[in-house]
Amino acid sequence: MAEFKPYTYFQCPCSDNSVSVREVGGANPAGQEETDEDERTFDPRAPRANYSLYPLEHLLYCEDCHQIRCPRCVLDEIVCWYCPNCLFEVPSSSVKSEGNRCTRSCFQCPICTAPLSVSSTEPPPEGLGAEYATVSGTYVLNCSYCLWSSKEIGIELDKPNSVYAQLAKIKNGGEPLLLPKERRKALEERREAGEDGSHIPGSKEEQELDAESHFYNLKSFYQEQLSDSSPAGALGLTGDYGYGSPGALSRIMGLYTSGALGDRKSKNKSGTMREAHDALEGLQITPLSASDAIARLCTSGWEGTASLSQRREQPHNPRFVSDLRPVANLLRTKRSKRCKTCRHILSKPESKVQKTHFRIRLVALNYIPNIAIRALQAPSAPSGLLAPLKPTQFLLTFSNPLFDSVRVNIATPAHTPGRFGSKVTILCPQFEVGANTDVWDEALGESGGKAGSEREKRRTKAEASEGQGQAEAGKIWERGRNWVSVVVEVVPASLRLDGPEFLKSEEQRRDAGPLREDEDVLEIPVFVRLEWEADVAGEEGGGLATGNKEKEVREKRELAYWCVLGVGRIAQD
Amino acid sequence: MSRKPAKGEYIETDTGNKVSRRSQIIGTTNIILGGKTVIQAEVIIRGDLLRTYPSSNPNEKQGTPVAVAIGRYCFFSRGCELRPPGKLYKGSFSHYPLKIADHVFVGPGSIIEAALIGSHVNIGSNVVVGKFAIIKDFVKILDGTVVPANMVIPSFSIVAGRPAQIVGEIAEGEIEGFDLREAYRAVGNS
Repeated sequence: MAEFKPYTYFQCPCSDNSVSVREVGGANPAGQEETDEDERTFDPRAPRANYSLYPLEHLLYCEDCHQIRCPRCVLDEIVCWYCPNCLFEVPSSSVKSEGNRCTRSCFQCPICTAPLSVSSTEPPPEGLGAEYATVSGTYVLNCSYCLWSSKEIGIELDKPNSVYAQLAKIKNGGEPLLLPKERRKALEERREAGEDGSHIPGSKEEQELDAESHFYNLKSFYQEQLSDSSPAGALGLTGDYGYGSPGALSRIMGLYTSGALGDRKSKNKSGTMREAHDALEGLQITPLSASDAIARLCTSGWEGTASLSQRREQPHNPRFVSDLRPVANLLRTKRSKRCKTCRHILSKPESKVQKTHFRIRLVALNYIPNIAIRALQAPSAPSGLLAPLKPTQFLLTFSNPLFDSVRVNIATPAHTPGRFGSKVTILCPQFEVGANTDVWDEALGESGGKAGSEREKRRTKAEASEGQGQAEAGKIWERGRNWVSVVVEVVPASLRLDGPEFLKSEEQRRDAGPLREDEDVLEIPVFVRLEWEADVAGEEGGGLATGNKEKEVREKRELAYWCVLGVGRIAQD
Repeated sequence: MSRKPAKGEYIETDTGNKVSRRSQIIGTTNIILGGKTVIQAEVIIRGDLLRTYPSSNPNEKQGTPVAVAIGRYCFFSRGCELRPPGKLYKGSFSHYPLKIADHVFVGPGSIIEAALIGSHVNIGSNVVVGKFAIIKDFVKILDGTVVPANMVIPSFSIVAGRPAQIVGEIAEGEIEGFDLREAYRAVGNS
């Protein structure tokens, strides 16, 4: 079993846990009584809690709302699109027209998703001189991970570059594929020929269409039908793209609303539409007998059948490995984040793809104290598990990132929620954490800067009476410039369910089922309330205002939130 | 360990590199260390795998050839191996330099054959980074990942699996966690 690593998760206040929920998998829908807002404690095991707890690193902080913001209460805005393989930016206009895949030469192996590289099928030249360089020769896409090659599906390329454009023209097996432009041409030719009325159904046109040309044929057929059926357009618009016109829209709306507006018109025209009846019009007859597929399955076997994850990557839902095609890389985005309530930007990356710098980055790490957990004594058991019913002490270290000292109040329920309630006591629930200082001050102070160390000494002397290094009630354990450690005493609950009746908690009496997953993890909900006086002038006026001592306006700030301390696993006896 | 090294475990260089006496560094003249880099025991760095194919750029200065270039505050854990990648190009086989920027952590037992590793990259234990892979800044590679050859991993990615796939994104607040100055200071010479 992996070693347990203590963790601290912070609850984003955006989530409302007041709605009573019942435990997933629990037998009885225990009606949770709605309690008063102030008395309600946070239950980290509630199914909803999973969606509101985040490590501090994942949280942002809105300076205008003075509140924590989690990934659920920010809005994402796309700054740019880029290909994760070639790292080229793709303008959003071409994302709209070409789709969200790289249109250069970036492809993933259809078998294993590793990147494909282009290589020549020609044998390497004998010498290095220019006279040996080969101009002709075909190229294939190779996977260096699973050694798949596009030769297996019969695709060979003429050029080593612009693979996307080349692949769009080749079917699996090497047959050419019609491009949309060519398709249109063929359609027009057919239409001209069709004017004579010599239309032979069931001839060469009964071909199998790929998804793209199928869609294209259907679309052009119905567009034609629409423009034919409403010759002048409902509102005087001619145009062969009848269904983008407002007239057509009102007609379609009329079909659904059956109002007086479009009803009569639609009735007049509905009769003139006909359905597609060949491949060039987009008709595809689904093969009713699967005998072909069954025969192929028999011959190709398990190895020749595409796996579910392989099929999911493909747009055309192939069944066999030989139908798979190289997958163009999905584009990735850079996103900026906005607060949902006040719309201020919380994080904004540089718009250039290769730059990793942030223009704005308001992370909660710089605003709320981080809480580190450490066992006070080394765990007695070699497994690192907590011994049940044995008082164990933990050190919580609050480190303050703010440049103002912060008063911290912490509170926990006396028993952790859940079936196995462990007793929790915070020995010092109220303390003050010193202000953070500049990196420069720190560096100078450490290298023998007298003023810094002197100040530090004076402060530590003043607080020496606070009982350093003693686990005593009401006293902090240790403190530094911008951090304070306090002791939390925990009596882990026994995980036995066969104990005497009078020792059992109410939850245990109600539910005597076996130990569920992660029920042995001791999680302590802690309510943290911070109070500090922020320098308002310094925040708004920047460097100029900070010098002006008289006008300095101090504003009292308060922030309160729940967090969950994962302390350890309780040993099962 | 019965035999205790007579001196410290690490040799400290002028630029502050801490190189374990029990590491195997081959071809030291072809290796550049930016400074404040930790190389733990049993690490293998193959500086002898030099580029033999002539450079396409004739203007490139003909100084001492470089096989492995490492930036500042890198941390190579026990038993990892850095090997410049090699390939067959126009009929001849040649190695190409392996470049590693600053604040790169490589976990124990990992094998690195990348072409380029950006700064602030965390590579877990028992990872294989294939030939000519390019890893950009702020990337986390989880334990046991196999990064296939020629793969490009863009910035702010979390990568896992065999073959490697991008499984997540680095959050804004996680950026500070990649700094390895603390890890460097924590390495004592005893």
